Amino acid sequence: MIRVEDICVTLGRFSLDRISLSVGRGECAVLLGPTGTGKTVLLETIAGIHRPKSGRILINGEDVTRARPSGRGLGVVYQDYALFPHMTVFKNIGYGLKMRGLSTAKIAGRVKDMAKFMEISRLLERRPGRLSGGEQQRVALARAIVTNPNALLLDEPLSALDKATRSRLRLELKKIHEKLGITILHITHDLTDAFFLADRMAVMENGKILQADTPENMLASPASRTVARLVGIDNLIEGSITNPGLETGIGIIRIPEANSMPAGARAWAGIPDWAVHLLPSDHKKAYLWTAEMRIAQINFTGSMIRVRLANENGGTLQTCLSRREAAILPLSLEPGSSVSVGIHETGVSFLLS
Amino acid sequence: MNRFSLVTGAAGALLLLFVAIPVIRMIFAADPAILAKTMVEPGVMASIFLTLKCAFFATMFSAFFGIPLAFILARWNFFGKSILSGLIDLPVMIPHTAAGIALLMVFGKRFFIGKAFAHAGIGFVGTEAGISLAMAFVSLPFLVNSTRDGFSAIDPRLERVAETLGASAALTFFTISLPLAFRSILSGLIMMWARGISEFGAVIILAYHPMTAPVLVWERFTSFGLAYARPVAVLLILICLVIFSILRFIGKQQRGA
Repeated sequence: MIRVEDICVTLGRFSLDRISLSVGRGECAVLLGPTGTGKTVLLETIAGIHRPKSGRILINGEDVTRARPSGRGLGVVYQDYALFPHMTVFKNIGYGLKMRGLSTAKIAGRVKDMAKFMEISRLLERRPGRLSGGEQQRVALARAIVTNPNALLLDEPLSALDKATRSRLRLELKKIHEKLGITILHITHDLTDAFFLADRMAVMENGKILQADTPENMLASPASRTVARLVGIDNLIEGSITNPGLETGIGIIRIPEANSMPAGARAWAGIPDWAVHLLPSDHKKAYLWTAEMRIAQINFTGSMIRVRLANENGGTLQTCLSRREAAILPLSLEPGSSVSVGIHETGVSFLLS
Repeated sequence: MNRFSLVTGAAGALLLLFVAIPVIRMIFAADPAILAKTMVEPGVMASIFLTLKCAFFATMFSAFFGIPLAFILARWNFFGKSILSGLIDLPVMIPHTAAGIALLMVFGKRFFIGKAFAHAGIGFVGTEAGISLAMAFVSLPFLVNSTRDGFSAIDPRLERVAETLGASAALTFFTISLPLAFRSILSGLIMMWARGISEFGAVIILAYHPMTAPVLVWERFTSFGLAYARPVAVLLILICLVIFSILRFIGKQQRGA
């Protein structure tokens, strides 16, 4: 279990401001945020690389704020894996065991078992420079896990991989977590990685944690527009409270939460793209809002189609649908054509800031 | 081959010739009979051996203090770091006779440091220790700068990972930083040794005797003329060429390993 309490860190002109974070035993927590926001500094502070100006760091209940990195029992995996280039894979994996003073025979046994578990036995005599990205990632994970650490700290370990390897290793990372039940703090800027792996999630920007919650709650109730944007809610529509709902540039969206607010106050509707439906003429579902819009742009991203919709007043909405959905939709998706659009209540959030 | 390659190739070739022609001319102009006679002169071989030995001790002594300093300069950020780096480079910039005088003023018997060493039985004027001291002073930048660049080139995250895996700072240095910077350190050691061997200005101020090879060449040149100075110089060049070629080969083997 990792507990960070009110940590402040200054590193040159960069600072972390009163960060608090908790990762339960056996939990996989994902720290999500854009590049340059201080995620790596926070991870390295937990690992003991940087010393905080104030605050406490507890690992399994023990205060390790002043402890050296070697005394914290944490495994760290960096984005580019930081494998020791002058050592073989065997020596890389065995390094932590050697530092703990284990006998050569015990090191050999543990390294071989770990290599088998990670399916890298055939690589043991190779140097890291002769491994693929995916193989390097497995070696780095094996090196971090073999010492039975209190927790694993992962610094964007999937981001240097090609898409196919990334998908495969994302799945394997999840399996490893489930099999070993190890506590993981995983930092990333990638939404797919974050939502796929996280039991809990924290969103960070400019050296501050903006919100920490389960992925579902984070999507359903983002604390602010910044959080909503960071968790991938593409449509943030400004409006003023009216009765009933929120009056916006695309019309009145009947968000139930708006009814408890004073009329005229500013607020935003956070609408994930999957809550924006393209409707057949005979649709029967209830929607918070429906209107005719023009298809302004269509972009294909692999198996997904992203559609930008616009109305005559300049209001826009983004939606996405899979190719399968598009194939069965009784509409033709052509730029410039007019479509009925509905906002479904699932996933829509009401934001005051 | 395009025009750019031709121009850069020609420029490089001219510079190589600038270095090679004087050395080759000196070697081939040497009378083999005099060269053979010089080789068996006890004073000459002793002088060359003394030069190699003193430069070696100067290099080893400097490595002991210089490698940790280079690591600090590569890894730590502190006020006055650029001034300290400039100070390290200073011996390259100042005339070496001036460096010799400066050393004499500190390690001579009139200053408390020199007195303290003399009290401990170590003198620097007219001794091998003085020769090594002069060599170390003027050639230290080659070792420190090369080693610092070697440490700087190591991704600090390798050292951080080692520490998280349970290594102390010292073990991290010896198992990660030092092996990874080995090539740069070896290169710095070779350069420092080579520069130490060639040192004349600072050495002659501190120790005219015992005579190092550069001092011997100068003494023979001024006393007996070019014909007597040249064989010593040729011998020194040939011996150094063999030694440094072997060391560079070892360095290359390490790189390939």
